[in-house]
Amino acid sequence: MNNRPFAVTNIAMQSNSRKLILAVPKGRILKEVLPLLNACGIEPEEAFSDEDSRLLQFRTNRPELDIIRVRAFDVATFVAFGGAQLGVVGKDVLDEFDYPELYAPIDLGIGGCRLSVAMTEEAAAEDDPSRWSHVRVATKYPNLTRKHFEARGVQAECIKLNGAMEIAPKLGLARRIVDLVSSGATLKANGMVEMEKIMDVTSRLIVNRTALKTRPEDVGAWIEAFRKAVNEQR
Amino acid sequence: MQDNSSALLPSGLVDLLPPEAAAEAEAIHSLVGTFESFGYQRVKPPLAEFEECLFAPGPGQAVASETFRLMDPLSRKMMALRSDATPQITRIARSRLASEPRPLRLAYAVEVLRVKGTQLRSEREFLKVGCELIGSADMEADIEVAVLAISGLHRLGIRGLTIDLALPPLVGKIYGMYAVGAEDARAFDEALERRDRDFLKQHGAPAAVVLEALLEATGPMDRALERLAKIDLPEAVRGYVSALSTIADRVRRALGELGMDDVCVTVDPVERRGFDYHTGYAFALFSEKVRGELGRGGRYEFAGGGETATGFTLYMDTLRRVLPPVARREIRRVDASVSWAEIREMQESGAVVVREFGKENE
Repeated sequence: MNNRPFAVTNIAMQSNSRKLILAVPKGRILKEVLPLLNACGIEPEEAFSDEDSRLLQFRTNRPELDIIRVRAFDVATFVAFGGAQLGVVGKDVLDEFDYPELYAPIDLGIGGCRLSVAMTEEAAAEDDPSRWSHVRVATKYPNLTRKHFEARGVQAECIKLNGAMEIAPKLGLARRIVDLVSSGATLKANGMVEMEKIMDVTSRLIVNRTALKTRPEDVGAWIEAFRKAVNEQR
Repeated sequence: MQDNSSALLPSGLVDLLPPEAAAEAEAIHSLVGTFESFGYQRVKPPLAEFEECLFAPGPGQAVASETFRLMDPLSRKMMALRSDATPQITRIARSRLASEPRPLRLAYAVEVLRVKGTQLRSEREFLKVGCELIGSADMEADIEVAVLAISGLHRLGIRGLTIDLALPPLVGKIYGMYAVGAEDARAFDEALERRDRDFLKQHGAPAAVVLEALLEATGPMDRALERLAKIDLPEAVRGYVSALSTIADRVRRALGELGMDDVCVTVDPVERRGFDYHTGYAFALFSEKVRGELGRGGRYEFAGGGETATGFTLYMDTLRRVLPPVARREIRRVDASVSWAEIREMQESGAVVVREFGKENE
């Protein structure tokens, strides 16, 4: 605990009330987020890059900013409920929850992929979309899936899974899945084909509405810092 | 474990226990006292009324979808349980108090019931305390209700306050002026809602350019107003926007005179969230100590556009979370044999007197 590189120990003793918290997603996007943080002048403490660290809240070189590392879906929830003031999250998650308390001022241009409907090759061959009235879909995104199919007059029954969607059709849970696709390699390896794209996805900087209203200077400054960093990287 | 399911309440409904219940009652008393000292008179409409009266055009229409309805077994007509106070106050103003001189100043503290909770407010029943200033289009009326709302909160000891001034009809007017189609309007709405400046920038249409500039003119008052003044707005909305600056200035001056310089004044010309029926200047109140809004207010029309009014409402469920703790009063326990006159004497000197006796019948 004493080998923390920053001389800001006293800050950590204070409550979180004046401190700003940035929530970033674990996993895939994290690697792309780090350079962006650095470009904004944010250097997280060492434990942050250590996948095995059990810490949940990390200090940075900026005494007024801490970082939390949580699941992508939870980033949106933490920021919407004001547990964190800033966050990085994909447009897929943003639209799935559609939290009214979130602002998403910046497209960070990282974590690019798409949300698509996919089926097994055999099922796709004999499928006739014009005859659908009801479909069953295995997905992490029940709201977006329902909305997508409702727009074409089809009722979607969603089976909510939290991962490994590609295995669901094989085991007879549902013939279709709705999931993120980047290269399509995972689909292919599981004998599935991408049928249609629901939306393009990139990561966004999100901001809690109350935080921006009540602390416009502090929060606004970070939005500007991220905007500048993104513009420089383009 | 003991089965306590008989104590289960429907979702969004809660029991308030000591000391919260008392704290809320005291806060309401203080707020209404502040309003009354400015000549706002209390009214108390009923809990339920016929839906056709409650959902009259204006503030009523906006809340129809979140209102509980039930059949009145007496009249066989549909009744609605109020989900908002303003439609009831406007009904009173245009009927029973129609001949009262304007401007009419009314205050209320009523419980409301909603079909569904929201993300930030899971409560389906909560108390609304507020004021309506009816029958004056003067800018002074807009300023008065804003100052009154903050004064009430400040007097309760709530700090870290922000008042965010908005102009809800502005975006719609801009859509009209640039003949924005329905599809673009939906996309712009979403971009504004999410503060997605990049989308507006990439879109590039003349309306998007103006909206992007407006989006930039949000935040702390001085900087926002400075940016707002530089935007090349269509002639028809320019007066409207410059009045917003005047209102912001005068509100801040008032706060200074009242020793409330700590209140932060921000401006957000594109904010429309929650301002469903507002037709003029509006505002939302925040405290950095609590998520969500403490209250909201603004100008609206009713009686088919025949009357203009402005007002605000404070949400006691949110407000309760930022109230300073109630001062503990001295409790004196006395034997039941002590005389009632003596007890009254102690009470008059400020003590709470609790009489002590056994649990069994003697």
